[in-house]
Formats: sequence, structure tokens, C-alpha cells
Amino acid sequence: MGPFRSASDPAERSDSELDKLLMLVARGDREAFEGVYDRLAGPVYGLIRKVLRDPAQSEEVAQEVLLEVWRTASRFDPGRGSAAAWTLTIAHRRAIDRVRSETAAAERELRSASAQVAIDEVAESVEASLEAERVRRCLEGLTELQRESITLAYYGGYSYPQVAALLDTALGTIKTRIRDGLTRLRDCLGVSW
Amino acid sequence: MLNRRHLHALAGAYALDALDGAERDRFERHLRRCPACEREVRGFAATAAALAMAAAAEPPPRLRDRVLAATAVTRQSPPDVARRGAARAATRPGVTRSPWVPRVALAVGGAGLAAAAALGVVQVATQHQLDSALARNQEIATVLAAPDARIAAAPTSVGGTTVVVVSRAEQKLVFTSAGLPALPPEKVYELWLLGPGTARPAGLLPPPSGGKTAPVLASGVLADDKVGVTVEPVGGTSSPTTTPIVVMTLPA
Repeated sequence: MGPFRSASDPAERSDSELDKLLMLVARGDREAFEGVYDRLAGPVYGLIRKVLRDPAQSEEVAQEVLLEVWRTASRFDPGRGSAAAWTLTIAHRRAIDRVRSETAAAERELRSASAQVAIDEVAESVEASLEAERVRRCLEGLTELQRESITLAYYGGYSYPQVAALLDTALGTIKTRIRDGLTRLRDCLGVSW
Repeated sequence: MLNRRHLHALAGAYALDALDGAERDRFERHLRRCPACEREVRGFAATAAALAMAAAAEPPPRLRDRVLAATAVTRQSPPDVARRGAARAATRPGVTRSPWVPRVALAVGGAGLAAAAALGVVQVATQHQLDSALARNQEIATVLAAPDARIAAAPTSVGGTTVVVVSRAEQKLVFTSAGLPALPPEKVYELWLLGPGTARPAGLLPPPSGGKTAPVLASGVLADDKVGVTVEPVGGTSSPTTTPIVVMTLPA
């Protein structure tokens, strides 16, 4: 299962199954929502915890996100991306909202030690899943600066100016490294859209 | 100076939610006029989703219960018809709801009859829910009919009455209420088992129907537990965030 849609990929099938489930959810089908929950709660919770760290807070935000998926399922448009991508975009935004609204955010920015952890964790966190393995392999194919920029922004929840400060690199450089890195990552993963 | 090339280059940072307020707004305005950027962002969002999949972690099982319970009391937003366009909307299936299966009757006997009078109706939408509602009613009936079932009632600080039937042998209780004030849509009454120094979530009260809330079953009731109710955000919380409107000592 995953956000990939390349033609030969078995993930494509479960991906479009998930799309159909989410469209049923839009019509008030609570059983379909259980199916969506069982497929996406793990990635939603895992992603949020990766960004926020605090398990209790992560659980709270994950709950908000999953309920938002129920509430706003009618806004999902399969023509604009997979159900997984739609859901995980919401999850990431909510996690980021939480990070940026916290007064502790300023203090957090200074803790570059934890930023280092964020980078290392990507390599470690990876469970035995095939998809995670694929992602890890593709991340390894990036330049160090591309990889660090992307993981700090996405898993670390830092804005790109903060990433630039953490990596002591020019703003414009970070901006292009993120874009180039994502392009390479996208091609490596065979993501179609 | 922000030019178009600079804006294009922000597609990656935008897809990772790494732009702050003003810059994000500017990029979103640009996105509406730049189909190539829109396509690129979509590909990046799918790529980011793969990063999220790789970070998957097992959430606590209570999250599932809580989220699924919340869907029962959370109204869904209507589709954004304007954005989809009229032609598109015409080809889409209409928004239909499963017919509600009305009023599952519940027959009870024994010591819980007094509480049975306070029980509301149970509404269900699908066969699956019907089955689980019946199973739950069965469980509730078991508590109400237990030989050691005891009933207690107490007023709350905001008005209304709460009623509890507890079976020590089953370690379960059934909770109902009458006359609790209606809550704004983003709030819910949450039930707690209060032990010495701990509060365990014991379920969310369904929205009142005819002034009464349908029975909630709580399991794992311990000897020195009390029962409390707080007002919480929809979906409930893992520990109380407001002062209980009632705390009841359970009959021995």
C-alpha cells in the first residue's frame, strides 16, 4: 500500500481501493471509514510523532486529523492525487501548525542537536516494510545536503529558512536543494501523479 | 525581489510545508495560474506521502475507538460543488446516506429495570453497526440483569441527572443521563472511571435524544472507582481537561 501509482506496481491496486473507500466515506459510510483508518492511521500517527516527538500530543493531533478526514472526505478529488497523499498532506500540515504555534518553537529551533537526531532517525526508524526500505534506499541516493534539507523540513518540521540556519547554508541554496532532491526522490520512487 | 523563477523554485519547500505565512500565500496565488507548478507540487506531495509511509508507527489502540466513536457524532462537510465544476458534479454520484434503521428495541429485566426507563434509542446505519449495536445492547442487558446490579443517581452541577447501574461481578457499569444541557457541536460529554489519582476514559456520551443520552457501557470497573463526567472537545481526550460536572460514588 502506498501513495505510488506506477502502472506495474501492486501498490497501485490498494491505492485505488483506498481512493474508492474514501469516496464512500464522503457519503457517510462509517464502515468504509474503518477501512481508511486501518490503512492510514499508522502513517498518520507515525508522521505526526516524528514531527512532534511527544506521544500524547501526537495522539491528540492524529485524532484531529483522522476526524478531519471523516469530516472533509467530500473534498477529496482522486483526479488530484491519491487518498493517501491527500490524508498525509493534512496530517503533515496539522503537525506543522502545532509546531509553529508553540511558544517553545523558538527554543526548539536552537536545539540543533535534536536536528541531528532527526537526520539519523530517518536511517534508523525504518521498519522492515518494503516501502520503507525503498524510501531509505532512495534517500541514500540524494546528496547529503539534499537529504538533510528534505528530512529537516519534512520530518523535522522546520521552515526552509530555519533549515538554512541549521545547516549554515544560503537560503537560495536550500530552496533549490529541496526541489532538486524531491525531484530525484520522486523519480527514484517511481511516483506518478 | 520575487520573480517567477524564484516562485517556481519554491514548489519543493511548499510541498513540504516549509514556507511561512506570507510566502506560502504568495506561492498559492501563483499556483492557481501555473499548471506546471501545480503538477510539480502534486508529484512532490505524493513523494512526501512516501516519506510519511516510511515513518508509520502503531498508534495506541484507544485512538481507533475514540476516532470511530467520534464519527458517530460528527457531521460531515458538504462537497465543494463550485470548485469541482458543474459538469464534474453531474457525473458524480449524489451524496446519499444509508437509511437509518430506527429504534432497536431493548428488552431488559431484573434489577436494572429502573434504569431501562432512562435508556434512549440506538440508531444505526449499516448491518455491521446493527450487529455491533445488538451485541452492545446484549452486554448492557447483561449488566442490567446481573443479580448484583445496583443503581445510583446524582444531579450534575450544570443541571440534569445521571444514572449508573453497576455490576461488581461483571466489573461493568451502564451510564445514562437525562436533562443534561445541549453542547456546542465541537464539545462532547466524556465519561471517566476515577480511581485513586487516575482517570481512565470510559466512553463518550451520545448526543441527547429527547433530553436523554443512550446508555454507555464501561468495562473494567475497579472496587474503589468513582464515575465522573467532563465536557471535552469532540472525539474526547485521554485525560480530563475540565472540572467534572458530576462525580458519583458507585454503590457497593
